[in-house]
Amino acid sequence: MPSEPETVVDVRGLTRRFGAFVAVNDVSFSVTRGEIFGYLGANGAGKSTTIRMLCGLLAPTDGRATVAGADIAREPGRVKRSIGYMSQKFSLYADLTVAENLDFYASAYALSGRLRAARMDEALELAGLADRRDALTRELPGGLRQRLALASALLHRPPVLFLDEPTAGVDPLARRAFWRVIRELARGGTTLFVTTHHLDEAELCHRVGMMVDGRLVALDTPAGLKATHVPGTMLSVGTGAGGEAGTRAVMAALAGMPGVHGWQPFGLRVHVRVDPELAGPGRLAARLAERGVATADVEATEAGLEDVFLALVRR
Amino acid sequence: MSDVLTSSPALEARGLVRRFGRTVAVSDLSLSIAPGELYGLVGPDGAGKTTALRLLVGLLTPDGGEARVAGAVSHAAGGALRASLGYMPQQYSLYGDLSIDENLRFFGDLFGLSSTNFRERVAHLLGITQLTRFRDRRADALSGGMYKKLALACALLHRPRALVLDEPTNGVDPVSRRELWELLYTLVDEGLAVLLATPYMDEAARCHRVGLLQGGRLIAEDAPAALVRAFEDLAYFVTAADRDAAEAALHDLPGVRALSPHGPGLRVIVAAADAEAFRRRFASADMRWHLEPTAPDFEDVFLMRSIDAE
Amino acid sequence: MSAPVLARFSGAVRRTRAIALKEFRHMARDPQVVLLALAMPLVLILVFGYGVSFDVERVPLVVVDRDRTAESRALARAFTAAGTFDLVAVSDDEAAVEPLFRGGHAKVALVIPPDFQRAQGRGDTATAQLLVDGTDNATATIALGYAETIGLTLTQRDLPRGFDVPLRAEVRTLFNPALRSAVFIVPGLIVLVLVIVSVMLTALTVAREYERGSMEQLFATPVGRVELILGKLMPYFVLGLMQVLLVLVVGVYLFEVPLRGSVALIFVSASVFLLAELAFGLVISIVTRSQMVAAQVAAISTFLPALILSDFLFPIDNMPPPLRVVSSLLPPRYLVHALRAIMLRGNGVESVLPDLAAMGAFFIVMMVIATRKFRRTVA
Repeated sequence: MPSEPETVVDVRGLTRRFGAFVAVNDVSFSVTRGEIFGYLGANGAGKSTTIRMLCGLLAPTDGRATVAGADIAREPGRVKRSIGYMSQKFSLYADLTVAENLDFYASAYALSGRLRAARMDEALELAGLADRRDALTRELPGGLRQRLALASALLHRPPVLFLDEPTAGVDPLARRAFWRVIRELARGGTTLFVTTHHLDEAELCHRVGMMVDGRLVALDTPAGLKATHVPGTMLSVGTGAGGEAGTRAVMAALAGMPGVHGWQPFGLRVHVRVDPELAGPGRLAARLAERGVATADVEATEAGLEDVFLALVRR
Repeated sequence: MSDVLTSSPALEARGLVRRFGRTVAVSDLSLSIAPGELYGLVGPDGAGKTTALRLLVGLLTPDGGEARVAGAVSHAAGGALRASLGYMPQQYSLYGDLSIDENLRFFGDLFGLSSTNFRERVAHLLGITQLTRFRDRRADALSGGMYKKLALACALLHRPRALVLDEPTNGVDPVSRRELWELLYTLVDEGLAVLLATPYMDEAARCHRVGLLQGGRLIAEDAPAALVRAFEDLAYFVTAADRDAAEAALHDLPGVRALSPHGPGLRVIVAAADAEAFRRRFASADMRWHLEPTAPDFEDVFLMRSIDAE
Repeated sequence: MSAPVLARFSGAVRRTRAIALKEFRHMARDPQVVLLALAMPLVLILVFGYGVSFDVERVPLVVVDRDRTAESRALARAFTAAGTFDLVAVSDDEAAVEPLFRGGHAKVALVIPPDFQRAQGRGDTATAQLLVDGTDNATATIALGYAETIGLTLTQRDLPRGFDVPLRAEVRTLFNPALRSAVFIVPGLIVLVLVIVSVMLTALTVAREYERGSMEQLFATPVGRVELILGKLMPYFVLGLMQVLLVLVVGVYLFEVPLRGSVALIFVSASVFLLAELAFGLVISIVTRSQMVAAQVAAISTFLPALILSDFLFPIDNMPPPLRVVSSLLPPRYLVHALRAIMLRGNGVESVLPDLAAMGAFFIVMMVIATRKFRRTVA
């Protein structure tokens, strides 16, 4: 067999209306086995509606989709057996212990006997909770709770996993740990469909789709998206000890400067997209100095997906 | 004490302690936030951020120490406190079945605004939050970003001197997040003192000062730029298409303290003392990737301080 | 001095009004709640008025006539003629009674002894025995009442010293001569409806604010505890009075319940009761902070007493002393008593004052607990 990648999620012209409102509008894409597929968009752009349809929880108004070979409209039961789903809202029972939650989900997926015991042990391992199985779920920090939710969505070893904003409100350390698990799963052949507002996480996806007002307006690898949607050179301007006031002084100086396409504050620095003639060493710094911002250091940087997101959404 | 009027803090905590049963959620916390200052409280989940904010706004009674808002003791919860404090909890706090107008009217009545004052305030706040054309929409039909902006407007109706926000941009998309931040800067420029907790390090870096909370203690506090300057390790960027292979290969090099996927490659934090050895090994170990030093950012500071404190 | 006091007072009024207005809006946005609150009394009064009728009719009767004389037949006829009892069997052997009871074919047996006529002729007390199937308690009690009434008539007419007549039966017969259950059920039903809907809704209202997180925001505003509590009570108070009106109108026009006393006094009594029970609902809500727990506590602690300990279905006089004490500590029995006095007997204020005082005292105690327990903190 040639190594044609196996399509696990196939979406063709998927549409969902709520009354006059079109939440998802003629969306088509496919996801292959072992891929981490990022699905981005502003609040209300149609991300969750898409996921709910693909999980067989919501019937599409139009179009069709298959998930692990099952048609979402005609065989929602088969879809549900082959997927794991972790919703935005916390899906565990806060008043049950770690083990009790896993026990419940193991029963929900009809696991029994030795397999059940083995899967539950693996889930505890995956969540990093092997030594805290009797802890009440509500007493766990947010990051660990999310990992437990992930582990319980994986108990039945689904080939496809849908994660809807799995790291909302989770601190950076815990987010890293969470994504380590996600990448590990993808390497093991699980297909992952993830929505997130953290664009540094989206960089870790193999491919990223961008939703704006129900439409899929871009779909590519992170590098491809940057090349297409934020062309030009990206420079990063720092202000040394200037802090936030310095950042704002830089942004004020950039306003109306020829050759500058746009800028965004990124933490302590400002990302500036410029024409090639401004990209040469010292050019932008000189222009800034002319406008009274002397302490700026300028270095070349990669455009981030946040630049892409902002460019697409504000278009 | 002579220049009380100019230097009196808008928000102040002195030796705050709060226990829940045997766990100490907040331990000897002192901070002081001036009018026109934007202060960010960061820390891992369970570090005590929410407890600290609740102590400051008087929703929890401290076991020790004292919190004040514009001079009024927080846990006494008197009228002076409420008049000078705006607070936005982490959870949904508005009434989803009421419209934007009705929610604003409700809080306006609670704060006792006169009708001219109220109209003026609402017009201003709806203007800066760009919610004017949605006035009649029910709060639960608003997007996450709009909902937060409405909550912010409700907390600002009575012109408080201090604003306390618990993870205000949680679950808000990047565009709305930026809009909220622009709004915050406008308010700070007007002289409002803002204290916020956030899990986003890029947001923390945009505060005037940040406090790093770990296990209920403030382990560092300074301007983000100063904390970055004080960062002792070195940051490198490794461009690697095959990120997983690069991560495995780099993992055991000397001095590597943290490795994380970042954009098109890996970000590596190396102890300064071992930097020389690290670079030599990288050059000699037949590594086919491109290595270049990069400026440490605030997230690096946060990560390394958190790891060190654990 | 008075200007700031006045300003503070008008601020408090405004905040209370804002809370009340907000609650009214919640109601308006969720019309099902209001619909339920108004449909529930209708359903209950129809169920109790028609379905669960306590009017006993066509009670199967077996007559064991061992005397077989004109007098014994007159007695048996008197029982069957009223339409209350349905003669299903006649026997001359007492042994026939038990199988009929066991099979459910008869519930009451009239046993006339062999010397009935002779005893009457001698001028002695002529005694007949009435056996009642005690397993169907309600029917049994009421059947006995009827039997006593029939016996009473007989006594007056034919049997000089026939049956003893207990006082209770006499009282009921006096004010409710037809013994129609709707008449004594409507006052009890008002109590039941008020606790089911109004108290349940109030119990949920504060817990809901805690659960959704809005309480945290409210605490950061100048709103005071009493303002919050009063503001939250008001809409449910109005809703409760609407329910009273509904039950009264349906009771009077559909079931012809007499309305002998002052309507204003009925509403005054209902208002005091409502305040007492709503304050109780608030205490539940404040203490539990969870809608689920609040609903259950409210059901157990308000619905059951209203049903069981109020004199509505079960006479308080027949209760064991501990239950009587519990009953006297809770408001329902006082309103049942007051409403029966006003509606059925046409009594005035003076006779319901003790009831009003008892309910008022309960209200004050609950308000004190509510404000004490209601801390402006989250933990």
